[in-house]
Amino acid sequence: MLELLGVHKTFDDAAGGHWVLADALNLRVARGETVAVLGPSGSGKSTLLKMVAGLEPPDSGDIRFDGVDLAGVAPERRRFALMFQDFALFPHLDVRDNVAFGLVEQGQRRAQARAQAEQLLAVFGLGGHARHAVWKLSGGEQQRVALARALITAPRLLLLDEPFSALDAELRASLRGEFAQRIAAARITTVLVTHDEAEARVMAQRGFRLLGGKLQPLW
Amino acid sequence: MAAVGGVASRTVLPGALAIGLLPLGFLVLMVLAPLARLASEALAGAQSGVLWAMAGDAYLRWRVGWSLLQAALTCVAALLVGLPVAWVLARLEFPGRAVVLRLLMLPFVVPTLVAALGVLALWGPRGLLAQGWGLDLQDTPWLLLYGNLFFNLCILVRAAVEALERVSAARVAAARTLGATPWRAFWRVEWPAILPWLASALCLVFLYAFSGFGLALILGGQRFATIEVEIYTLVAHELKLAPAGVLALAMLLLTGSVALLYAWVERRLATPARADGIARQAPRGPGQWAAVAAAMFLLLMVCATPLLAIVGRAVLAGGGAWAVLWEPETLLALWNTVRFTAAALVLATLLGVTHALAARRSTWLRAAAFLPFVVSPVTVAFGLLLLYPAWSASLPLLVAAYALLAYPFVANALGAALDSLPPSLAQVAQTLGASPSRIFWRVTLPMVLPALRRGMAFAAATALGEFAVTLFLSRPEWATLTTLIYQRLGRPGASNRDEALVLAAALMLLALLAFLLIDKPAARERDGLAQPARRRVGHA
Repeated sequence: MLELLGVHKTFDDAAGGHWVLADALNLRVARGETVAVLGPSGSGKSTLLKMVAGLEPPDSGDIRFDGVDLAGVAPERRRFALMFQDFALFPHLDVRDNVAFGLVEQGQRRAQARAQAEQLLAVFGLGGHARHAVWKLSGGEQQRVALARALITAPRLLLLDEPFSALDAELRASLRGEFAQRIAAARITTVLVTHDEAEARVMAQRGFRLLGGKLQPLW
Repeated sequence: MAAVGGVASRTVLPGALAIGLLPLGFLVLMVLAPLARLASEALAGAQSGVLWAMAGDAYLRWRVGWSLLQAALTCVAALLVGLPVAWVLARLEFPGRAVVLRLLMLPFVVPTLVAALGVLALWGPRGLLAQGWGLDLQDTPWLLLYGNLFFNLCILVRAAVEALERVSAARVAAARTLGATPWRAFWRVEWPAILPWLASALCLVFLYAFSGFGLALILGGQRFATIEVEIYTLVAHELKLAPAGVLALAMLLLTGSVALLYAWVERRLATPARADGIARQAPRGPGQWAAVAAAMFLLLMVCATPLLAIVGRAVLAGGGAWAVLWEPETLLALWNTVRFTAAALVLATLLGVTHALAARRSTWLRAAAFLPFVVSPVTVAFGLLLLYPAWSASLPLLVAAYALLAYPFVANALGAALDSLPPSLAQVAQTLGASPSRIFWRVTLPMVLPALRRGMAFAAATALGEFAVTLFLSRPEWATLTTLIYQRLGRPGASNRDEALVLAAALMLLALLAFLLIDKPAARERDGLAQPARRRVGHA
């Protein structure tokens, strides 16, 4: 279970603006549950995910997973997977090595990691693209590769940052159903950040709106 | 709006600032200390009345005035020729476009001395075109201006193409729907957008033209040589150190202020936001095809013909001249060129990598990488000569001076590549379990390797063609191919000139070979595909 307890975060931008991104924020996400956080641009949704991933520290407050305080735990040791809205695929690696990246970091032998990556790619309908350069794939294919890369290490928590915002509307509609199924099949605890309420309702059991640093329950 | 850069800077190896001490110490010993020594020489000269004598010297006033004028004329010519050519390359899609863009790197690879000989082979006395058209351009300013344009046109074209490719298609479309003709849309939307890029390129063009040595020495002749040549003559032939010191300091102040202007413009360019570029279209109608043909003709005339002329004249020179390649003197020079370059490349790579890594934490360290570009090779060599007289003919100092001129290419190429890495890549690698050092080896290094290799390729080409420093600091038995070519040029007779051309062709080939061996463009560039437009990360 993921718990955010009294998390506080402010941000001063270069133009002198002062933003309250999280104000005594509390959130509990149960094991296997998907929770969506909605909000307009600049409301701090991405920062929330980065704090959970350990890429940015909160100003104050606790972030816990399964009762363990995560303060001071480096991102690479949390076993959380973060998926970026621009996919963040490694352009110097082919599709298969992108997916195998996390397994190699866990100490698996490269050949074994690649074989496992190829299996997962086949499940994702990308079997034919294993050796292709990632930038030659279409947007939807790139997004599937990013999800495969995030899921292959069986992370304890999946963090999705606007996963479909770079895709066109038609593809977005078809992919969100597919992603919801794959995430449910993996029984993985997920936090989804988006500004698209329809997408959030398809994918998440509970939804919140982040506004002025507070979470308001929507459903 | 979240702190996007935070994790990216953590991908650098720990202790980055500590490794910055290496390039910094090198810069102090090789640039700042010699410059300080030079300044004291100049001040001593000023006190003894040399300054007033120089200020009243009409000859010197002409030299300074002409140096500024030829650099300014080069800027104007590069802009007038380069902008239309860049527009064709940025907006029209035609067969061979990608090859032409890649060939635009050629003048950076060709040694100055080779370029100067190419201009002579074309327009000089008995030059291919000069003979054909009955022209004699000897002792006119045109040879030097043409040589300057050969080198600098490509800088401007490359910068303008990059700028034009960043112009937002949506903004131009908006201007058109608001009633602007294509021409008005260019002036009111595209021109303001590309202006900073043009300004930054023009600063570089001015710097290169103003402080260039090889071209001015060979092509300027008696009348149209520049201050750099004057400093060299004062030091090497007339042993008048005080006036040379004053001139060198004046040069430094001028180039320094242009460099500051450049740095100021560059800072304004540092906006990562990437608009959707205007799609290139196949040329429509005879007008656009004519534009393509004209652009290619201009590039051919300015950038390719001097090189072709060298090859042509070398071939025409016949077997007698080619025998020079097997003379012991040439073989020794070749061996010297190769070993000096190899040693300098190793040192330059070490300095460039450490500088680029350290500069990620510090803006002023980043600016320091431009120092060797700002200070002309003649000034550096003169300062080194004054500061370390006992070392003036030592191999380590010569190699260090080569490395000094070459390493900014490595530092700048690597620095730019590190800057353009999207921070999300390091972040995602971290969440996938990679520690900072693992991120460096598995993500950062492989991604910047093409840029590193390109920087090394330019560094190698610079060292291969080095000329000014070698003239100052070398010993006769350390003759390189460039000094050998210069010697041949100084001797009378057609056979010596033919041999110089053959040697220049060999040097050009060597520089190209080194570049092609070291440079390995990223797969994306090889395929001729543009980087996909990246959305900005960090906005929730």
